[in-house]
Amino acid sequence: MSTMKTTRDVKGVGLSIPRPDGPEKVTGRVQYVADIKPRGMLHAKLLRSPHAHARILRIDTSRAKAFPGVRAVITAADIPQLKKKAPTRAHAVLAIDRVVFVGQPVVAVAADELAIAEEALDLIAVEYQVLAAAVDPVASMQPGAPPVAEAGTEADTSEALAHSAVALAKSDTGPSKAVNISQQARVQRGDVAKGFAESDVVIENTYHVPMVHQGYLEPHAVLAEWDTNGVLTLWASTQGSFNTRSEVADVLEIPENTIRVIPVECGGGFGGKIRALCEPITAVLARVTKRPVRYVMTRREELEAGMPAPQVIIRLKTGVKKDGTLMALEADTILDSGAFSGTVLAVSAVFLGSMYKWPSFDIRGSEVLTHKPSVAAYRAPGAPQTIFAIESQMEQIARTLGLDPVAFRQRHLISEGDPMVNNQPWQSNGATEVLKRIAEHPLWKGRAEWVKSNGANGSKRRGVGMAIGGWLGGLQPTGATVRLNPDGSVSVLTGQVDIAGTNIALAQIAASAYGIDVDKIRITTGDTDTAPMTGLSAGSKTIYTVGSAVLEAAQDARRQTLEIAAAEMEASVHDLEIEDGRVVVRGVPDRSITLAQIGKKGNLYMSKVQPVLGVSRPAFTKQAPAFAAQLARIEVDTETGEVTVRDFVVVQDVGRAINPLGVEGQMQGGSVQSLGMALTEGLLFDPASGRLTNPSLLDYRKLTAADLPNIETIIVEVPSPAGPFGARGVGEPPIVPAPAAIANAVQDATGVRITELPISPERVALGVLAQK
Amino acid sequence: MRRFELALPESLDDCLRLLAERGPETKLLAGGTDLLPQMKNGVLMPKRVIDLSGVARVKILESDAKGLRIGAAVPARQLEQDPRVRAGYVSVAESAALVGSVQVRNLATVGGNLCNAAPSADMAPPLVALEAQAVIAGPHGERRVALSDFFTGVRTTVLGPDELLVEIVAPAPGPHSGGSYIRHTPRRELDIAVVGVASQVTLANGVCAKARIALAAVAPTPVRATTAEAALEGRPLTPELIERAAELAAQGAKPISDQRGSEDFRRHLVRILTRRTLTAALARAGA
Amino acid sequence: MAKQVLRSTINGEPVEVLVQPYETLLDALREELSLTGPKEGCGTGDCGACTVHVDGKPVASCLMLAMQARGRSISTIEGLSNNGTLHPLQDAFVRHGVPQCGFCIPGVLMAAAALLAENPSPTEEEIRYGIAGNLCRCTGYTTMIAAIAEAAPATAALRRA
Repeated sequence: MSTMKTTRDVKGVGLSIPRPDGPEKVTGRVQYVADIKPRGMLHAKLLRSPHAHARILRIDTSRAKAFPGVRAVITAADIPQLKKKAPTRAHAVLAIDRVVFVGQPVVAVAADELAIAEEALDLIAVEYQVLAAAVDPVASMQPGAPPVAEAGTEADTSEALAHSAVALAKSDTGPSKAVNISQQARVQRGDVAKGFAESDVVIENTYHVPMVHQGYLEPHAVLAEWDTNGVLTLWASTQGSFNTRSEVADVLEIPENTIRVIPVECGGGFGGKIRALCEPITAVLARVTKRPVRYVMTRREELEAGMPAPQVIIRLKTGVKKDGTLMALEADTILDSGAFSGTVLAVSAVFLGSMYKWPSFDIRGSEVLTHKPSVAAYRAPGAPQTIFAIESQMEQIARTLGLDPVAFRQRHLISEGDPMVNNQPWQSNGATEVLKRIAEHPLWKGRAEWVKSNGANGSKRRGVGMAIGGWLGGLQPTGATVRLNPDGSVSVLTGQVDIAGTNIALAQIAASAYGIDVDKIRITTGDTDTAPMTGLSAGSKTIYTVGSAVLEAAQDARRQTLEIAAAEMEASVHDLEIEDGRVVVRGVPDRSITLAQIGKKGNLYMSKVQPVLGVSRPAFTKQAPAFAAQLARIEVDTETGEVTVRDFVVVQDVGRAINPLGVEGQMQGGSVQSLGMALTEGLLFDPASGRLTNPSLLDYRKLTAADLPNIETIIVEVPSPAGPFGARGVGEPPIVPAPAAIANAVQDATGVRITELPISPERVALGVLAQK
Repeated sequence: MRRFELALPESLDDCLRLLAERGPETKLLAGGTDLLPQMKNGVLMPKRVIDLSGVARVKILESDAKGLRIGAAVPARQLEQDPRVRAGYVSVAESAALVGSVQVRNLATVGGNLCNAAPSADMAPPLVALEAQAVIAGPHGERRVALSDFFTGVRTTVLGPDELLVEIVAPAPGPHSGGSYIRHTPRRELDIAVVGVASQVTLANGVCAKARIALAAVAPTPVRATTAEAALEGRPLTPELIERAAELAAQGAKPISDQRGSEDFRRHLVRILTRRTLTAALARAGA
Repeated sequence: MAKQVLRSTINGEPVEVLVQPYETLLDALREELSLTGPKEGCGTGDCGACTVHVDGKPVASCLMLAMQARGRSISTIEGLSNNGTLHPLQDAFVRHGVPQCGFCIPGVLMAAAALLAENPSPTEEEIRYGIAGNLCRCTGYTTMIAAIAEAAPATAALRRA
């Protein structure tokens, strides 16, 4: 699609405009689900399994049902639609006869007060027969491991495609016969054995990344109410109201058009609020009690029984010649998906083999099921873990050969047209530009001197490290409408949940495309009854897809407006321009008609003029990959192992910064999530019991402001061919490189190479001791 | 949280009366920063809670030539900022400054930290190293217990069910004294000690007249590194001797391995932090 | 179980309200007084989303019982602006594009306001420690620090006025 040219600059694309709902947010006026309390509302609580794998022998809810203030106590027996073999986590509303992870819901209670619901849970007796659990993914892959799924559970790759728009050929993927291995894939090129045989330097490492939680501040929350016509309304904290609607409809076996999902302000999602989780059970409680029911997860429940990012283990072997020529790459990737399938296997293969031009590779991936909470997406799912492996390895190769780490990467980095592992060509991208900007950064150029100028600083050592990664960009069909109002203002309707502040960017796109200032435009986020079908707020695709829809709809509205004006003024459409809220004939300033006049005509009694309604409903085929590189300057206390990040830079190709303020916010936020994965975060499950040993924010450590420096952002713009005004997705690339950048900086500072995340003080300190 | 009844005594006597006539499962509430999370997790389920915020006696903070009197319900933030504490008992201020975050420190109390008796309790080691005493009120009056004898195990103390901690008294350390508390945590705030060490030294005639080293999170209770202390007393505190003492402290520690730290790492940290706190305490003693 | 009467001053107004003895201050503010600005992010004092002022000091309201606020003066985010005029901190947050999902923002602003009340011109490090008890997952904190630093002089002037 072409970009719109206007004869004068409107206040639109490219401006750093603060989001208009800022005042609402800073005054605490904006409402989240837990802030909504309709009359008669009941509170829900779930009784959850204490065992990772057990048979349910008996459930006695009689005492709970009789407890004053309790309005409903539900088990799976009360929900006849539940499938014995739950195909997805959302379908496992309440456990039927078996539990497959600690924290799996078994009984649901609705009561007048939360405290009463809690006490009611104490009165429920569940008799379990504890079974052996498969907790460690490697052990879980072995023959004889305790089975997780009922035989034949399908791999669920639906979400993968929404995120990454990468497909491996049918022959590349498929479920395996081995117990607990639910997906397998393999991609090959060339002859790796020969490549290794001809290599001078072969490096092999196994990289470990634990499960991590998306860490949104607002726990999952949903309010459900049925009306007397059997229509269910869900006020949900969700990243996709249409997805929520479809899942709830599927699970409860009710028609989608009897469900209205209202996306309430969402306190963070990052992929963890895409799949339905609490909505089905809350809807059931509301149906049974005939009252509105609200369920808000506690933080402990989120950590124990949310939908985290998978644990990833990558064995990576690379062979190169001593002059730095790449020869062969071999990898085995294990993705631990928890109790239900849902990882994005393809992404890992793509980033391992497609970042650099390996002449031969053999990459195998397996998704493994374990008796742990099942996973969902977390901002660039699979990419940070994979880039941690390949970027750590590239660094080690460069160091071993005595080559400059950036120059080495530049030599082998892919460009547009180079084949990816699935032989699709790389679309246009800014990887080269991004790497160049990092190389030119003063902190990179002056790194040797900075490290040396540390002097005799006791036990402290300095190091500098960098890494590059990215995201392919999700695709999903979507829709938008643009309406001219009788007063000349414009209304835009999408179903897009605005978490990151994308609405202002969409308004800017509409402004530039239609031809009026952004302050004349208001974006409305509709619910599933009122909005056009819309995709997820995920996959870094909001601006790319919804932005494109808004652009097209605004162009459509502009066309209609000019046609009406042309008829009214008896001029040719080609001679018309929109300026300052009026349609003018180019070069003839006194021949004009205001947008308000056109808008009014479309709404006047007996008028023959149609209302202006721009509509767009695009689907997409072209990805727009986006790359980010990060640089970290660190100080390491070699005695305690503490790593202090003194400086951090993120360079990112955004195609076109529709709203630079918003773009920088994404770059900074994603960088800090990446640093958290690098330095402090990990869900730690007891290998025997499968119980989470750190179910609180005290021990699941997210970084605070005191742990961080300012995040410096550098925006690079290599326009995408298909994105609105050349924009690319922005949200995901910045979470990708930091773990590798930090590991590289730690090696620079101490000589220790850490291949397991998080890079905790203990790992660093013991690594330093081991060197002595 | 499950439901409970709440009593709001206005004096220490009221409070003791409530404790004496308690039913089962009564808990005292000061800052709530340990009690409430445990109640929310179902670890503790008291049927009655006694709020101490109306009892003036446990909120005093007084300092004179003889020593420092800290009411059990004095918030950590107050200890962190009080100029008398910072001047004469700086390791106590340092430990208080490390608890949680500022929002937690405005609630968390020294008494709560000690009575909760977690092995990682930050405010215990400096007070143990200062040879503080716990003042305990009960139905038969008040008694004193050396703080180093106050802790009996993980989350257990000498307090009887009808007693409460009212004050901690730390004797003035005397001239040429210095103390320091350092703990290791993965993050700078909102964290809990993997290992914490408090050192307190007094110099006389160029040698160490008294040394006390107390450790957090390396045993079920806060413990003193008595072998290390003995190695220092009567000798000039050279860097080599400090290193030796740090070695002895590390050897004497028997930490567990848990998700916050392995045994090896903890023992290593004991050595590092003992050296660092002794060095800092020495500098402050000389100053 | 019988409710108790909580008498306190909230956002400058004397308030008398019935609360459950087992209700936290956070819950009482949100459920009984409809002050839903303070949020529950964790319930255990580890995230700062529930930060309010008690007698001018920032506290984790999820760890206080409502009745512990008796006789004291409580301020929430709803009391930070003045008759519709944004406090300099709020204004700076809006202009710097700080709020993304917005969930942490009321807590951060209350922590920042308390910091500036005690330390009218803090260094960057002091600002970072001042809001170190507030977790944010969206922003990475950089814009918050800049906004707080910028608002410090105007905030100090407001106090003097």
